[in-house]
Amino acid sequence: MSLSILVNTSACVGAGQCALVAGEVFEQDDDGIVVLLEESPGGSQESSVRRAASLCPARAIELRG
Amino acid sequence: MKDIAPSDPRGAANECPALHGRALPTDGTQLRLSPTLAAWRDEAAATPLQYADGHVGWIVTRNELAKEILLDPRFTRETTRLPMPGDPHADIDADAQESIRVGGPLDNDGDVHARLRRAIAPRFSLKAARSYRAKIAEIVQAQIGSIAKHVGPVDLTSAYAAPISAQVHCLVMGVPDRLSAAYSPIFVGESTLQRKFDFAREALALKQQEPGDDVLSDLVRSDLSPHEQEGLALVVLSAGRDSVAHLISTSVVALLLHREQWDWLGANPDRMPAAVEEFVRVGSLFVTLFSRTAKEDLTIGSLEVQTGQSVSVAVAAANRDERQFDNPEQFDVTRDAFGHLGFGHGIHACVGQQVARTVIAEAVWALMERWPGLRLVDAEQLRPLPFAHPVATHATGQVLVEWEQ
Ligand code: HEM
Ligand code: SF4
Repeated sequence: MSLSILVNTSACVGAGQCALVAGEVFEQDDDGIVVLLEESPGGSQESSVRRAASLCPARAIELRG
Repeated sequence: MKDIAPSDPRGAANECPALHGRALPTDGTQLRLSPTLAAWRDEAAATPLQYADGHVGWIVTRNELAKEILLDPRFTRETTRLPMPGDPHADIDADAQESIRVGGPLDNDGDVHARLRRAIAPRFSLKAARSYRAKIAEIVQAQIGSIAKHVGPVDLTSAYAAPISAQVHCLVMGVPDRLSAAYSPIFVGESTLQRKFDFAREALALKQQEPGDDVLSDLVRSDLSPHEQEGLALVVLSAGRDSVAHLISTSVVALLLHREQWDWLGANPDRMPAAVEEFVRVGSLFVTLFSRTAKEDLTIGSLEVQTGQSVSVAVAAANRDERQFDNPEQFDVTRDAFGHLGFGHGIHACVGQQVARTVIAEAVWALMERWPGLRLVDAEQLRPLPFAHPVATHATGQVLVEWEQ
């Protein structure tokens, strides 16, 4: 039932939307590329994670579940 | 409601395109969408548009289709079929021409684009943007001090927004101190592309000797070719600076026209980040983005595009699409404005957006804090101005403000 997240680091363009709207789950490394902090975040984070996925300009965040 | 506006460009292109493609309307301002674009959006998601080279392509006014197009790899930015009258490439030396060809992220797709983009992305991450905040605040406060000396109305655009944006640009790119005085005359004032290239070369050479923690130093440390480095240096030195200044000026106009929101935001500084998103939604500089060209015959949503046809996303219209935003014409700093295309979308989405958000927030906040009673005397941008760039961007214009002395 919990949400699982896949990030496609080769598609990521480092725009930082994910870190901006869901900073507990996504971060950018020193090259600006997405880093997943939590692969299956709790329910309280679901809406911000969905938001990050829909705002990602490169469709680099995939959600399952 | 049909999804595609009536006239069929395929037949039209062979007959008389002028009769079938429509001209880009100029009856809007940054804060008031062109009524013509609004009518096109009511009619259809995309409308046949007459391009400067005579062919008929499309202009997309609805948010959802716009995003689909910006994400679709069947469109390219590589073959820009439209000459850009603002860029007299013939007047620059041969190396500079090559650098423009190979070093522009917005003019390349695929692996070439990714390589260029990744060379500059590290200094534009959210973390990086936050790390500049204290220095940005210093730049902003110095500019507040400078306009505070004025007596009578002040033009925010030239006396506040433009100098702040130029100084932050120098900071992030790492323009060497000894060149910083020359930066604004060459990149903000009237200048030539050749002079900009000469500046970029000199800056890179200085960074080679004395590298620092900045974009230009990253370029000289990278494995990019000298032409790529030089082309990319030119892009980062030029791109986005006008947009940042534009948003600072335009946000202040919008807020002062909605005094209650100026007052509310002044009392709720923690709401500034959300407000900045609304500034970018309604105040976008871009009437349309740079056009994309179809690499193959394709269907996207209910739109059919032929190989070689251009498609332009009308950011101004898509940012006020009622299918995406409630009550879209209303400026409302309390709304959730994410989903706008003010920073583009897809692989070319603005690389500088986190830095831009930080500067805009600091610059607008500092004015509120210092002059809660700031008044708008007049703004040229309240009336339609000629577009500032061949890609159809709104001119910022003078924004005259005053305060009790
Ligand atoms: C409020 C300020 C800004 C706005 C509204 C803005 C807007 C945009 C937009 C809409 C695009 C996409 C263009 C297209 O797809 O046709 C873009 C791309 C770009 N922006 Fe910005 N920008 C801003 C600030 C900046 C800053 C500060 C920089 C720093 C250098 C910058 C650098 C770039 C670059 C290099 C691209 C091309 C990215 C690529 O092709 O991958 N922008 N910007
Ligand atoms: S929003 Fe998308 S493109 Fe931007 S950093 Fe996150 S994953 Fe990468």
